Amino acid sequence: MCASPSPRGSQAPPPLPLFLLCLLAATRRSVADSTSPGSPFTSLPAREEMMAKYSNLSLEIHNISLTEHSSVPVKKNITLERSSNIELTCQFTTSGDLNAVNVTWKKDDEVLENYSLINRTGNILYTQYKFTITKSNQMGSYSCFFGEKKEHRGTFHFKVPEIQGKHKPIVTYVGDSTILACKCQDCFPLNWTWYSSNGSVQVPVDTQMNKFYVISGAHGNETKLKITQLSEEDRGSYWCHAVFQLGESENLIELVVLSYLVPLKPFLAIVAEVILLVAAILLCEMYTQKKKKQPDEGKEFEQIEQLKSDDSSNGIENNAPRHRKNSVTSK
Amino acid sequence: MAPKPAGPPDGGWGWVVAASAFAVNGLSYGMLRSLGLALPDFAEHFDRSAQDAWVSALALAVQQAASPVGSALSTRWGARPVVMFGGVLTFLGFVFSAFARSLLHLYLGLGLLAGSGWALAFAPALGTLSRYFSRRRVLAVGLALTGNGAASLLLAPALQLLLDTFGWRGALLLLGATTLHLTPCGALLRPLALPGDPLASSRGPLAALGLSLFTRPAFSVFALGTALVGGGYFVPYVHLAPHALDRGLGGYGAALVVAVAAVGDAAARLVCGWLADQGWVPLPRLLAVFGALTGLGLLAVGLVPGWGGPLLAAAGAYGLSAGSYAPLVFGVLPGLVGIGGVMQATGLVMMLMSLGGLLGPPLSGFLRDETGDFTASFLVCGSFILSGSFIYMGLP
Repeated sequence: MCASPSPRGSQAPPPLPLFLLCLLAATRRSVADSTSPGSPFTSLPAREEMMAKYSNLSLEIHNISLTEHSSVPVKKNITLERSSNIELTCQFTTSGDLNAVNVTWKKDDEVLENYSLINRTGNILYTQYKFTITKSNQMGSYSCFFGEKKEHRGTFHFKVPEIQGKHKPIVTYVGDSTILACKCQDCFPLNWTWYSSNGSVQVPVDTQMNKFYVISGAHGNETKLKITQLSEEDRGSYWCHAVFQLGESENLIELVVLSYLVPLKPFLAIVAEVILLVAAILLCEMYTQKKKKQPDEGKEFEQIEQLKSDDSSNGIENNAPRHRKNSVTSK
Repeated sequence: MAPKPAGPPDGGWGWVVAASAFAVNGLSYGMLRSLGLALPDFAEHFDRSAQDAWVSALALAVQQAASPVGSALSTRWGARPVVMFGGVLTFLGFVFSAFARSLLHLYLGLGLLAGSGWALAFAPALGTLSRYFSRRRVLAVGLALTGNGAASLLLAPALQLLLDTFGWRGALLLLGATTLHLTPCGALLRPLALPGDPLASSRGPLAALGLSLFTRPAFSVFALGTALVGGGYFVPYVHLAPHALDRGLGGYGAALVVAVAAVGDAAARLVCGWLADQGWVPLPRLLAVFGALTGLGLLAVGLVPGWGGPLLAAAGAYGLSAGSYAPLVFGVLPGLVGIGGVMQATGLVMMLMSLGGLLGPPLSGFLRDETGDFTASFLVCGSFILSGSFIYMGLP
């Protein structure tokens, strides 16, 4: 069973992992049974056990439609974190002869064999590729090609979930503490790890030291790194790694550690400016008030002088003609 | 030989006071509104999520509730020293919170200290402004009240820049230095002697709060109406954006709704201020009319279906009416209590609105949680405002 290639069109068991398992079992058997070292592994119950194991996995079904008039190849991104059974279907609509269309499936650049071809009546050609993803090297791009034209191609990209974290650097101060957080929507990594890097080398964060604490979130989809007693050497890039069954994902967080002198200088400058403003306003007011008082005093002085000069004239009789003269002139 | 006090100068140094009040409004309410931008950074640092929203709610509550204290102190010692001291208090609050090691420190620094500083600054500044004007009072007050809108526009991007460059600690430190500018604004508030000023007090501190004003029927009617309006007035500040988001608008669509309301609000403050001063309609009537329109606008925001043009129109209508209402609330005071009582009345008005402000948003949130959307919330707060405006019709 291991050696013979599976026929096209039937329920094809996943080729590569099954082959490896068969190989493993065959070596085991050959150790136990030295009389037949090369006998193929055909134990039926074990194969059914394999099928049962795979049937526990979730099933992902994805479709791409193309027509002969498509001008760009069609792409679909699929996020996967744990082993799953996959069914990929491509459909191609053409007015020409369906039998003349050459259908190929490729993973990255490697041609795949175990696809099925279903001709439908009418103008639509269906092709399907079923397999199971259990390892990270099975992730990648799976493409179906119809004919020779580059545009008649559909690609399914399989990727592990991405992690969201802060895009802007976190600004902190010496002696402060901070929390770096990473989380991903709807995903459950097997494990989280934190690395720091100065330059290009990534070094795991030493959680034995008193200043680094890793706090896991309640649902496993987030992680936090708490750093206390920050110093200027702690600045740099920090990476949170999420490990999935099917690969790894990471996110970068930048940490900046400033000393208090940095904001202190503009702070003192502004405070000094405020003090100057207040002084200027109060001095200005005192000055204008003084000016108002001085002309008032000056006016009073003039009025007193005026009265004195009036008195020093000939007396009351002279006031009357002066008054009358004034009243005549005022008209 | 002091000359008998003349009436309000209605210009001259009054415009400098208006500019000062504009800056005070911006450095208090504008700063408070922009603080919301820093809340995510607080949450991230202290590893909490919703509790830090209470920081700005606390600051607002303290500012409003403690306003009568500011007014009382300034009736006793003049507005100038009180506002200058308020600036220093706010500055200290920010600097203290920059070194916060726990959320409690933030509450104490920003909520209590800065909130008290703002309370000592805002009401006396506005009260002084009302005393400097008579014929153009509502316009001057409207002009000053546009300060917080202008400040929010400037402070929002500036605060983001500060947060990105200096982190939240450095940003709070520099914001503290900025709020210290309340002190030079206070220095500009030259004392003014007016006929009708209460004599230098032999009264006790409680009397200085101006509680005796409540014995005047006109002011009591006004107080009741204002307390009711306060129950609905602050809800859109908190819940207009979430309502727009609930209706299905994206982040930018919701921001547009808020912006339409804000721009309408700011423009209306100026236009209504000018209009009210023309004297064509008695101020208490205008107050009732615009209060009612604000209430209707909020009912419309809650009831209007969909999320496009009708919602924007309702938000605009609400903004225009709420903006017209704001300067009128302060503008009617001299008519109700005389120019001498304006300082104390201003503080009391702030406190009355804060009672509603503490009740309204939580009630609105509760209704939304119970019914699933904000329709009930806006209906309730719209009807609070409508009933307050109805009471305003009883004003002389």
